Amino acid sequence: MRIPLLIVSAIIWPFLSTGALAQQSSPVGAANPLPQAEASPDDIEGGKMFATTCGFCHQEGGRHAGRGPKLSKSERSDEYLVERIKKGKVGAMPAYGSVFSDGQIIAILAYIRGLDD
Amino acid sequence: MIFYGRSVVGCAALAVAAQVAVTVSVSPARAQNAAALNAEATMNDWPTYHGTYKSYHYSGLDQINAGNVKNLEVAWMHFPERATRGLQSTPLALDGVLYYSGSYSRVYALDGATGKTIWAYAPELDEELVAKQTHSPYNRGIAIGGGNLYVGTVDGRLIALDLKTGKSVWDTKLLDSKKVTVGFTGAPLVVKDMVIIGAQGGEWTGRGPIFGVDGKTGQKKWEFFTVAGTEEAMKTWGGESWRTGGGGGWMPGTYDPETNSVWWGTANPAPLYDWSGADWKKSGPRPGDNLYTTSVIALDPDTGKLKFYHQELPHDAWDFDSSVGEFVMLERGGKKLVVHANKSGYVFVYDRSNAKVENVWALVKNINFVKSIDPKTGELIGRRDLVEGKVDPPLCPAIAGGISWNSGAYSPKNGLFYRIGQEWCMEMSVEKTTPILEPMAQLNIGATFKIVAPPDGPARGHLSARDPVTGAKKWEVAYKQPPLASVLATAGNLVFVPDAEGIVHAYNADTGEELWSRNNGMGHNAGIISYMAGGKQYVAVPAGWGSLVADEFVALYGEPFKSMSKNTGAMIVYTLRQ
Repeated sequence: MRIPLLIVSAIIWPFLSTGALAQQSSPVGAANPLPQAEASPDDIEGGKMFATTCGFCHQEGGRHAGRGPKLSKSERSDEYLVERIKKGKVGAMPAYGSVFSDGQIIAILAYIRGLDD
Repeated sequence: MIFYGRSVVGCAALAVAAQVAVTVSVSPARAQNAAALNAEATMNDWPTYHGTYKSYHYSGLDQINAGNVKNLEVAWMHFPERATRGLQSTPLALDGVLYYSGSYSRVYALDGATGKTIWAYAPELDEELVAKQTHSPYNRGIAIGGGNLYVGTVDGRLIALDLKTGKSVWDTKLLDSKKVTVGFTGAPLVVKDMVIIGAQGGEWTGRGPIFGVDGKTGQKKWEFFTVAGTEEAMKTWGGESWRTGGGGGWMPGTYDPETNSVWWGTANPAPLYDWSGADWKKSGPRPGDNLYTTSVIALDPDTGKLKFYHQELPHDAWDFDSSVGEFVMLERGGKKLVVHANKSGYVFVYDRSNAKVENVWALVKNINFVKSIDPKTGELIGRRDLVEGKVDPPLCPAIAGGISWNSGAYSPKNGLFYRIGQEWCMEMSVEKTTPILEPMAQLNIGATFKIVAPPDGPARGHLSARDPVTGAKKWEVAYKQPPLASVLATAGNLVFVPDAEGIVHAYNADTGEELWSRNNGMGHNAGIISYMAGGKQYVAVPAGWGSLVADEFVALYGEPFKSMSKNTGAMIVYTLRQ
């Protein structure tokens, strides 16, 4: 079953603060120039998240097999992909269920479903 | 090896006097152990990960030699349990017993002549954590010292086992792996009474510590952060970028008793790729040099204090670790040198007393992340700093490196250094991402990519025999796919290369002529050694496939990798036919 993309966009926005939460400030090194790391809507944008984490194994943004399988035009169901992102597969793929919110996982799914070959 | 504790003196005569004076106070077994660890060649035993502290991966045994290697046959085999991602470790041998670790840090002690199990140990690991890890659950090696065997775990522990019984002596939690996600996969290193082990890091958020632990008690004695580990280093991470960090020291270094220094290679900073281009000192996700990532560092083994270092790639923007590469300790023309291979495909030669660059040479042909590296200073010439968007032409070498993490070998008999090189590049697109500043089960990559063939031919590998200081090549053997295992050289004038397809080859060390080969049935991704048991020489070849680099081979080469078992392994031990 495919999860409608309209639902995706509705789910995404409530999770925009995730990246900001990750940026606790500290006085150490405060004199140095700030990196360009401000929280932004990109934190919940599936393509950016894919490049941050998933692209390490799923090559060419998921369009090509590498350490992980090719994801574009996958015949796996949405439920299967969401479950795999959450639970992983030992020795092959990490489980991201405890670190990605449901909204983020749906955003990644939306990115995968939007991939051309 | 207590006598090395205070041997940091400028005068060689004083050092000798100190050693002689203290040697009388240590037990004969201990002195013998020290002699074996400091030798150029391993003999009956293989006492430490890199063979000896000289890190030659060279056996002085010659019972098996170029004249009779054709009679080499399987003596025995052993199959580890739960060999997820194959077998990636280097065994050790002591007094006729072979010890090795497998995935989930399971350890086996086997009779070296028959393979009969003496004991086995399987720690209980945090399986929920293992499920969140990328570089897991393999283990790459163990250390032995003071009657104990030491092994790290992916859930952040260092464990000591009684060498004779396999019973746990102590079990120390060093890393809060639930928080940082990473743990230990690399072998520990025993130096005097200290056990030294480096954490994973790289693309994971954290500060990549290296630990010194009391071998007798398991008490942590020191911790050195490879990310911003000194005030000087903190200034090389703009803003809060040190919090994303990376680094680590996921492969074992070695020890130079003459300067009382532990040499260790450190991993890359995170995110792997950034978009700041030439402005990397002031902008991007981690402005600055990012010390002490992608560096070789020398630590005092007693205190963990930094003595000296060289950052091989300042602000590494290409994921070319210094964690890969053993430290080959040589003398040439009266100079004491150390040779270290970097993942970029360049080999660095240093003055052993201060890490001053003596030479830099390229092992591989396809390199374009820099135009060159100054062989006199180590300065990167013509850096190719990336910006957001498509990288054109593709980056060479690819993320898998021009050199991978398994070791080469050096023969003091003929002065040749045997190293595997990898020729491949990478199409990629850099993405401006948000670095993760607090540890969590998420990576920091910053790009999408695809490994492709280099401009000069197919993606491939080679073994070359070279002068370790100048890089001058004597001979080369080409492979359709890069072998990913360590190389072994022996006094029998042999070089052994276990390859990716599953074949273990023996070559004439002087000419590269192939003299013998056998199919072990699965790819190799571990460390081959040689030892004596019951008066016979053995060659132990761990087989088993499935590392992160090995996983790329399906897309690159198809069969036999597409159908190759990844979650199995075998210790296959050869000796001469009776």
